[in-house]
Amino acid sequence: MSAPIPESTRTATAPSRTGGLRRFVAQPTGALSLTVLLVFVVTGVFGPLFVDRPGGLGSEILQAPSSAHWFGTDDLGQDVFAQVVWGTRVSLTVGAAASGLAILIGTALGLMGAYSRRADAWITTVTDLMLSLPLLPLMIIVTAVAGPSILTLTVVIGLFSWPEVTRLIRSNGMVVVAMPYIDGARALGAGGWRIVTREVLPAVVPLVVVSVLLTAARAVISEAGLSFLGLGDPDSWSWGRIMLNAQRSGVLSTAWWQTLFPSLAILLLVLAATVAGVRFNDSRDPRLKDR
Amino acid sequence: MNADEAALSVRALSVEFATREGPVRAVRDVALDVYAGRTLAILGESGSGKSVTALTIMGLLDSPPARVTSGSIMFEGADLVTATERTRMRVNGEGIAMVFQDALSALNPVYTVGNQISELLRVRRGLSRAAARAQAIELMERVRIPAAARRVDDYPHQFSGGMRQRIMIALAVALDPRVLIADEPTTALDVTVQAQIMELLTELRRENGMGLVLITHDLGVVAEVADDVTVMYSGRIVERGTVEELFQRPAHPYTRGLLRSMPRPDRQDDELWAIPGAPPSSLHAPGGCPFHPRCDAAVDRCRSDQPEFELIAAGRGSACHRSQEVFDGRA
Ligand SMILES: Nc1ncnc2c1ncn2[C@@H]1O[C@H](COP(=O)(O)OP(=O)(O)O)[C@@H](O)[C@H]1O
Ligand code: SF4
Ligand SMILES: [Mg+2]
Repeated sequence: MSAPIPESTRTATAPSRTGGLRRFVAQPTGALSLTVLLVFVVTGVFGPLFVDRPGGLGSEILQAPSSAHWFGTDDLGQDVFAQVVWGTRVSLTVGAAASGLAILIGTALGLMGAYSRRADAWITTVTDLMLSLPLLPLMIIVTAVAGPSILTLTVVIGLFSWPEVTRLIRSNGMVVVAMPYIDGARALGAGGWRIVTREVLPAVVPLVVVSVLLTAARAVISEAGLSFLGLGDPDSWSWGRIMLNAQRSGVLSTAWWQTLFPSLAILLLVLAATVAGVRFNDSRDPRLKDR
Repeated sequence: MNADEAALSVRALSVEFATREGPVRAVRDVALDVYAGRTLAILGESGSGKSVTALTIMGLLDSPPARVTSGSIMFEGADLVTATERTRMRVNGEGIAMVFQDALSALNPVYTVGNQISELLRVRRGLSRAAARAQAIELMERVRIPAAARRVDDYPHQFSGGMRQRIMIALAVALDPRVLIADEPTTALDVTVQAQIMELLTELRRENGMGLVLITHDLGVVAEVADDVTVMYSGRIVERGTVEELFQRPAHPYTRGLLRSMPRPDRQDDELWAIPGAPPSSLHAPGGCPFHPRCDAAVDRCRSDQPEFELIAAGRGSACHRSQEVFDGRA
């Protein structure tokens, strides 16, 4: 019998849950982008409770921004601030839902491609094909055929946004699949499903978080683009529709406030989501510990 | 089942890798019998095909590039070469388990060791969370990890190399396999820890009645723990026998060379003797006997004819044109 020999151990700090968030906001970019995102979410969720739904005809048409109308008014006398607030809800909903759909499809296909050579052959082909297609015209056609609505927008944007996610998850998943501990798991009888869900997925989860943010940012842009082209939901406000109205009523060049504020909203949201995504990535990277 | 029957029986196994420079025949015509309660050592220099043999038995080689071109791996009445994925998943862990050389990379860094052991028990044995955890601690105690109850929640990188190897052994024996394959389990460890790990493996083999396959390039380890020895060279088996017989009376010039190069306390050589030359690459193996460029007994036909593996005495076999002469001490 061999006696238990105490061997030296390194006391490393185990990963903690709250430490991640603290590291994330430790940098001004992290704190700032998170704040901006939170402001948008709060505006989207609670804003419409405090701001009347824009509608009808007002007497004060095409007013420049003032204390009464912070973002000015349009050619029907409606308050642009109210439109932006109500639009926030739709833009965020479509962005989040479409991104969720894209992440679901993209992660599933990416993991399949990373693990199974056979599946990978066609997943890579389809992904490359999708990435090479001109997406905007395709989205326009599909949306037009399916009939514009929030649901259509969400599904169309989601179905066209997964290839980037697939590519990211697949390439990183392949690195994990090649790790010796995957062979260790297979030597103990783990099958494909267990390996993918227990060994590979947890390793790519941080990337999934990053892609959620980046895909949502892209989805918001797509949503605004389609709405601006008149393919948005005609019954609800969105940032794209505000700009479309300005264009339709021919005030695009004069009533600058009608396009500036929705554009600013898009820009801010996309910027914040992108910065947050990059920052999240950095805060997870042990090589950049002190950043 | 007959007690004399091998728990694991490999026959005529050949494995090829497709590479850019052409097919690499890593393992050729290998036969092994693993018996319950016995230790079979597979001895050979680096690159002789030991790991490829083990990984093929476990079904861990990716195909492509690897391909089993012939042979069978019989375990509990099933041929693992042609077995379904389902059979494979049941056999791995429960029937045959494997301990790798490098435990740090073979354990998942993101889960605690307790989590990895109890997950296995929950999935394969249907244990509850609490029962699995208790049994994980028990297993860790069995492989003699100090303060197991406390260390169960540590991550692999928090353990030393020897302790990590013990954890991998705990995982490997968790489902009480009939055969345990250990591929150079102590190469990465320092000498005192090596001895402890070998002792642990031998003890588990005895207690569980497992067949142990010990892959090594270390003759000293073979002498100490093995019952049977199979010597591999350039992807082939060159000699086989029980450890006593083979050490007493080698029947292959390669084995004889290995024994001669072994450091011995009773001899006061200043310098260790070594077999001259280097093992051939599997891509450009020489014709005839693959060992002939390095062999001190080579004759003309060794350069042209490949020697067959033949029995020379009960339980003894060798692949050499002059095996009988070597065996009798005449060459
Ligand atoms: N993935 C691979 N691709 C090509 N050749 C391989 C591969 N893995 C192993 N080999 C070849 O198989 C031979 C045997 O390797 P291995 O079984 O690892 O030797 P060892 O006896 O040191 O464990 C080596 O010569 C190597 O060139
Ligand atoms: S066959 Fe010839 S070269 Fe090969 S080991 Fe025997 S004597 Fe040496
Ligand atoms: Mg090896």
